Amino acid sequence: MFNNYLKIAWRNLIRNKGFSILNIAGLSIGLTVFTLIVLWINFELGFDRFHENQERIYEVNNQYDVEGEIWTWNSTPKAMAPAIKKDYPEVERVSRYFYDTPFLFSVDDKRIKATGTIVDPDFLSIFSFPLVQGDISSVFNDVNSVVITETFAKKMFGDKDPIGEIVVIDNADTFKVTGVLKDLPSNTEFTFEFLVPWAYLTQKGWDDTHWGNNSVATYVMLKKDVSFTDFSTKIKTLRENYDEDSSDMVTLLYPYSRTYLYNEFENGKEIGGRIDLIKMFGIIAAIILIIACINFMNLSTARSEKRAKEVGVRKVMGAPKKHLIYQFLGESILISAIAAIFSILLVLLLLPAFNDLVGHELELDFTSKWFWISALAIVLFTGLLAGSYPALYLSAFKPSAVLKGTFHKADTLITPRKVLVVVQFSVAIILITSTLIITEQLDKVQNRQLGYSKDNLIYTFLEGDIDKNYELIKKELLKSGAASSVTKTSSPITESWSNTWGIEWEGKNLEDKTIILRMIADEAVVNTLGLKLIEGRDFDLQKFPTDSTAVLLNESSVALMGFKEPIGKVINDNGKKWNVVGVVKDFVFNSPFQKIEPLVIEGAKGWFNVMHMKLNEANSTSENLAIVENIYKKYNPEYPFDFEFVDGEYAEKFSDQQRTGKLATLFTLLTILISCLGLFGLASYMAENRIKEVGIRKVLGASVTTIVTLLSKDFLKLVAISILIAIPVSWYYMSNWLEEFDFRISISVWVFAIAGGLTLLIALVTVSFQAIKAARANPVKSLRTE
Amino acid sequence: MLLQLKNIFKWVQQGGQRVFLLKDINLEVEEGEFISIMGPSGSGKSTLLNVIGMLDTFDEGEYDFLSESVHTLKEKYRSNLYKEYIGFVFQSYHLLDDLTVEENLEMPLLYKKIKSSERKALVADMLDRFNIVGKKDLFPTQLSGGQQQLVGVARALIGKPKLILADEPTGNLNSQQSEEIMALFKKLNEEDGVTIIQVTHSEKNAEYGSRIINLLDGRKI
Repeated sequence: MFNNYLKIAWRNLIRNKGFSILNIAGLSIGLTVFTLIVLWINFELGFDRFHENQERIYEVNNQYDVEGEIWTWNSTPKAMAPAIKKDYPEVERVSRYFYDTPFLFSVDDKRIKATGTIVDPDFLSIFSFPLVQGDISSVFNDVNSVVITETFAKKMFGDKDPIGEIVVIDNADTFKVTGVLKDLPSNTEFTFEFLVPWAYLTQKGWDDTHWGNNSVATYVMLKKDVSFTDFSTKIKTLRENYDEDSSDMVTLLYPYSRTYLYNEFENGKEIGGRIDLIKMFGIIAAIILIIACINFMNLSTARSEKRAKEVGVRKVMGAPKKHLIYQFLGESILISAIAAIFSILLVLLLLPAFNDLVGHELELDFTSKWFWISALAIVLFTGLLAGSYPALYLSAFKPSAVLKGTFHKADTLITPRKVLVVVQFSVAIILITSTLIITEQLDKVQNRQLGYSKDNLIYTFLEGDIDKNYELIKKELLKSGAASSVTKTSSPITESWSNTWGIEWEGKNLEDKTIILRMIADEAVVNTLGLKLIEGRDFDLQKFPTDSTAVLLNESSVALMGFKEPIGKVINDNGKKWNVVGVVKDFVFNSPFQKIEPLVIEGAKGWFNVMHMKLNEANSTSENLAIVENIYKKYNPEYPFDFEFVDGEYAEKFSDQQRTGKLATLFTLLTILISCLGLFGLASYMAENRIKEVGIRKVLGASVTTIVTLLSKDFLKLVAISILIAIPVSWYYMSNWLEEFDFRISISVWVFAIAGGLTLLIALVTVSFQAIKAARANPVKSLRTE
Repeated sequence: MLLQLKNIFKWVQQGGQRVFLLKDINLEVEEGEFISIMGPSGSGKSTLLNVIGMLDTFDEGEYDFLSESVHTLKEKYRSNLYKEYIGFVFQSYHLLDDLTVEENLEMPLLYKKIKSSERKALVADMLDRFNIVGKKDLFPTQLSGGQQQLVGVARALIGKPKLILADEPTGNLNSQQSEEIMALFKKLNEEDGVTIIQVTHSEKNAEYGSRIINLLDGRKI
């Protein structure tokens, strides 16, 4: 019996090549997209979920009520971890995590820059980053001990056993390698290449007990039997005992396993985060698979007349309906299995490109039993989903009707099929409009007036001796002609590192807690960065030594502070008075997608991390860089010359949105392709079914044009309905998406006009191909067959 | 008695009116009979045949087949009944184009839960008996109309039915092929004792039978 089904199914496939190709192609594409997205989702959901103790690990967050709105953030004072350890016996382990910091490692004459951090000894017992060498309980016993990853060990020591080797860090301190970590997996947010014990930070004098300085991450691991609900209430008031200024700030434990996916808070409530993206792509995956299945249903039922006879004969021979349903389901499962094989090949082919796009290392793991189980499950599911409707539809035929030859559908495009086509095209149109809107929004933001000039602008961090030799370096840079202007700042122009609501000015409402961004610069900041001065002047310490306590405001600050004549006004920050000497035009400091926030640029009395320079536009960039590198080598010989182009860093800000845009475009094209495959198939069967009608009309004098119109009209009507459905849905959905951005386009009618027109055109081309073929056929032939 | 129809009515609703397809049909068929149903187009011949074959239902009356009352049986039992005892032959043969001659013959056996080896033997017998062994691997489209109908008859016979229902079995055949098929029917009827009911337009074909039933507008005349 089974053999017979298989045989019939196979011969059916071979005999109806066109139908089979359409079906298998559509399903293969659908399954490929589905697989790629599921691989990605699987990877994302497994992110940082491999820690043995993950159910007991929490990240310490703070919550604070700022003018009725609850802010949540995850950096904590350095003093918090010891306080937790001392006061709460429920906590088994606690560790601080200093921010990721680049250090220079020297072994003999090798110099390697690596990024790592400083942690408490408990860190490796909380998180599951296993040691390949070294003992977890003693690796951090000594202040000057360092634990490194396998790859980093290989880079530094080659094949030599790294344990016990001596390295010099930042040309200052000597460390002994006490442990080697297995390389971190790609699905973790941690990226350190080495770890150094907290004691080192204390020894360097970088530790502090200010509860107002929230700058490190703190992780706790609760004891096994501790109830999280009880304990989280207890720890809320932690700050009351330690810091008067922040006593009303709530200490909140946030489950570590949620940090990657649900890291966005609004008003104290979790509002999602990355999980939203995952859900969205999950929905897209499901929709594309369903669309591919709809194709199958449509094509299978459209050619039902061809199979009606078979159903009739089998029933007369005694086949129960059940058997026929099995038979048709078997066929659809066979087709979905063939499609699955093609799609695995396609996935293997596309995976490298897809990995580039999403920035992960995804792979098909053929050795895993889960791979085979899920592949089987997907094949069965797809086969059943796609085959269910055709199976029920076909097996319900009455033999007495189909065998007498009186079996003809009155309407060649019956209702469920119409509905399915409308669903398909609605989705296609929604995706087209979304892609258009995403692209338009990206274009708008990318072409946004930055307010500074990013060309030929580079920056370096003040590492090693750069800060010490800054004046010398600057003088030589300017003299050499490689740089036309140089300034020292607190952060790169592309990232805001500091903000406050503590600035005071004349007439400030003391309740006002608007956040103001803070940047610090020594001199020539306007000139170097290419800011637009509206009034006043740039910092110039030569001419005006008092500029070390001067301040520049941006327009938004001026507006916030309500200054009519800002120049000469004094503002108060950090207990110092700053004189306003100039106003600059608003420029994009944080995200180009958001509105520009108030900003102050304070003078040289602050702190510095970064050096910007404008390269001389008269020389080629490589010439300039060669000169700059020589100068850096001279004054900071231990460090490799490391710099960033501001335009490159700025472009990074778009990578996420660009990725979304590219994925949306890709999925849109595939959806259209699948839908068109389906429409093409439907149109060809429609043309076949109506061949007699076409013949009669032609004999009665209809022209090719009128027949093509007649045959295409029905389909175009469906596409038109889809447009009507899709417009409000995509308008609603995309308005929501745009809400995220302060700086955004307004959705124009044109988007819908283009999407609708495009879809109609594609549908018309697809359908008319078949319609013209049918209309040009010789009526004598088609009428004779009856 | 093989089957008995008592006061069978069948109708459809058309614009609020009942249009009768079958009207008060009474029929008794003994085993071994060869009956021809005749009548003009639309007189209800095929409908009657379908009712007898249990492919179609009726609205009123009683139908006993081998002392089972068909009108009270559920669909599933009905299909078991006709699968067991009735073979069908059609005007346009209705062989499955995707199956070879051999596989077409085997198909009805698949639904009777007969073991593979036994199926093979039955099919081989049938091929032998109808002299089509050489054609067993061909597909229906590679055969002439007469040969296709031969396969159609063989398929109807393979389940060893008591009754064969043939709906204009020679309608698509030329006269020589027609005669061959009718001769075959006669032989089956006489030598194997198979009961045959055929629908036909042709007086000549009707003569092969032992009894003729004439229908007009759904009524026996």
